Amino acid sequence: MTQQVLNAIFIGSIYALFAVGYTLVFGVLDVLNLAHSAVFMLGAVITYSLVALHGMPFLPAAIIAVFVCGLLGLLIEFVALRPLRRRNAPPISALISTIGLALIFVAIVEQATPGTLFSWLWQDGANSVQFPAGTVPNPTYHLAGLTIEATKLGILITSVVLMLVLGYVIRYTQIGRALRAVAENRRAATLLGINVDRIFASTLFLSSALGGLAGILFGLAISDISPYIGRDQVELKGLAVIVLGGMGSIPGAVLGGYLLGLIEVFAFVRFGSNVEAGVAFAALFLVLVLRPQGLFGARLRERL
Amino acid sequence: MRSAARGITIALALALAACGGTTSTGGGTTSYQGKTIQLGAILSLTGAGGVYGPSSKNGADLAVEMINNSGGVNGAKISLDTRDDASDKAQSAQVAQTLIQGGQLLALLGPTLSNSAVAVHPLAESFKIPILAVSTTGINIVPNCNAPSTVPCRYVFRDSLGEETAIPTNIKIYAAKAHPKTGVLMVANDDKFSKDGGTIVTNTVGQYGITLLDTIQFSKTTADFATPVTKALSKKPDVIFITSLGGIPATIMIEARKQGFTGQFLGGNGFNTAKVSKQAGAAGQGAESGSAWYLDNTFPSNAEFVKAYQTKYGSAPDQFAAQGYAAILILADAAKRANLTFSDVAGDRSKLRDAMETVNIQTPLGPFQFTSTHDVKQTVWVILMDGHGGFNLLASVNPS
Repeated sequence: MTQQVLNAIFIGSIYALFAVGYTLVFGVLDVLNLAHSAVFMLGAVITYSLVALHGMPFLPAAIIAVFVCGLLGLLIEFVALRPLRRRNAPPISALISTIGLALIFVAIVEQATPGTLFSWLWQDGANSVQFPAGTVPNPTYHLAGLTIEATKLGILITSVVLMLVLGYVIRYTQIGRALRAVAENRRAATLLGINVDRIFASTLFLSSALGGLAGILFGLAISDISPYIGRDQVELKGLAVIVLGGMGSIPGAVLGGYLLGLIEVFAFVRFGSNVEAGVAFAALFLVLVLRPQGLFGARLRERL
Repeated sequence: MRSAARGITIALALALAACGGTTSTGGGTTSYQGKTIQLGAILSLTGAGGVYGPSSKNGADLAVEMINNSGGVNGAKISLDTRDDASDKAQSAQVAQTLIQGGQLLALLGPTLSNSAVAVHPLAESFKIPILAVSTTGINIVPNCNAPSTVPCRYVFRDSLGEETAIPTNIKIYAAKAHPKTGVLMVANDDKFSKDGGTIVTNTVGQYGITLLDTIQFSKTTADFATPVTKALSKKPDVIFITSLGGIPATIMIEARKQGFTGQFLGGNGFNTAKVSKQAGAAGQGAESGSAWYLDNTFPSNAEFVKAYQTKYGSAPDQFAAQGYAAILILADAAKRANLTFSDVAGDRSKLRDAMETVNIQTPLGPFQFTSTHDVKQTVWVILMDGHGGFNLLASVNPS
């Protein structure tokens, strides 16, 4: 059972890291960026590509991939969000246009086989791959019947540190204050001299970089990198996490991530997999009924 | 089988083998000079079945090219229109509908997944167009494609080794060798192929003295297999049976080895592609499965196929490529003997169907015939993952 708690904490930190990016965009821009899961996938794919196809060591590859994912966030902002915002389109339009981008990102990867346009990025089509053995040293410790992998431990620490840093930035720095001001009231923020468009762009960059990083960590720890890891493995769960935690709340997304990880694992252990997703989403439903704004929801108070 | 017919088909088969598995001119009764035999394929090139579909397509394309380059089928060229169903049942049925309603196709291949076959095969049956399953290995694919109805489907065939043969054969071979006492079954519960595999394992293990300690079901969207694996290992099984699609068998093997499992992995068709072996890497070494095909078989129809495939694609084929390739050989052989008119599509489809029942040729899968229920009758090759993306042959079991 203790092993299962470790499993839950670990997968919870991936959910949390993924969901933090989701919720950040929602909090600031009031739109759901459904291309976030595709960026998650690309984080893993780009890192894999640099390591396995271009012979780069893991760390610089991961850093480049995180940066590229940030740039993809800008692409999402400039292609899928900003033009619609200029036209005062309803948020649902932005949601649909990000779904479109997600489909394109996934299609680019799943169609890439040797000899095709994107074979420099990916050559395995719809297949799953894992990082070549020894990409990162992964000593595994067996303590008192528990299996603890160094990579998973590293991922846990990375996630927690990053989320703390993000929390600090949002709360105590100039840019963080600007973010919160925009989230609170776009017009008032503009009147105060905040460049709202720039804040939106920075938010997308930051959110997508985090999403990409979550993808890299996922690929590293789960040994499963494919065009579908974002869409199939984390997208819906990420949405559940931010609803659970309260739309737009960062501490909520973090707590929600760990909570969903725990609920899932306990449901699996206790009731078996047939009900795993059911139990997780029933818990979500319960939270929504009892506390519609989510655990940390702040509909009427401040956001982020 | 009638002996005269058998004699002719064996002669044909030998002729086929002699010219490297391709059909050549001669032996046919009617000249099809200047005609085109139009075939369609519904394959999963993307999605969960995207691990298998592209191989099937490559194999089929290769066979089409080889036959066309060596004179075609009694002079007729073959054309193959392949469509992607994205591993989605509804999309698969829609693609099949589109292909059938084009009205020109003589026969269809596919679909890749058993889950989609449940929708597509009854459609083909009702339109009376022969359909040859190249990778569907679930229960009730042939003959009763309209299960639970037990009326046999006349137009549905398959050249892929069913899990009902592959899994029990594999368990039998392993049990005789290692005498395992206990096992845990890990099965994906959201597609037909995986669930059928699980049912077959459950029904088989008892015969070989193996107690199934637990059946762990999971969804293909499980993010981290650590949880199901921890649960499986807590039962301390000798063997873990895995029936699932895509990269999941590999992901489970990697996780189980990380958590200290030293026992055996047994599986079915889900293991049988180099992509899964490659992803599993060292964790998969020794994982054992019943396969329809083995890369290093040296009989001529396989050696020629492997060589041609490597030349065309620059990589080794897998089971799914071999089955796709064999499918075209089977249809070409049937077409050759069917006295097609090329003016009456419905009549030609019916003639082709009749001729398919008596196919007896050499393929990369070995000597190939259909059983009376349109299933494949062929040798089972029991293979082991070699730890770096390939397989080794452990045993071969001839059809009873």
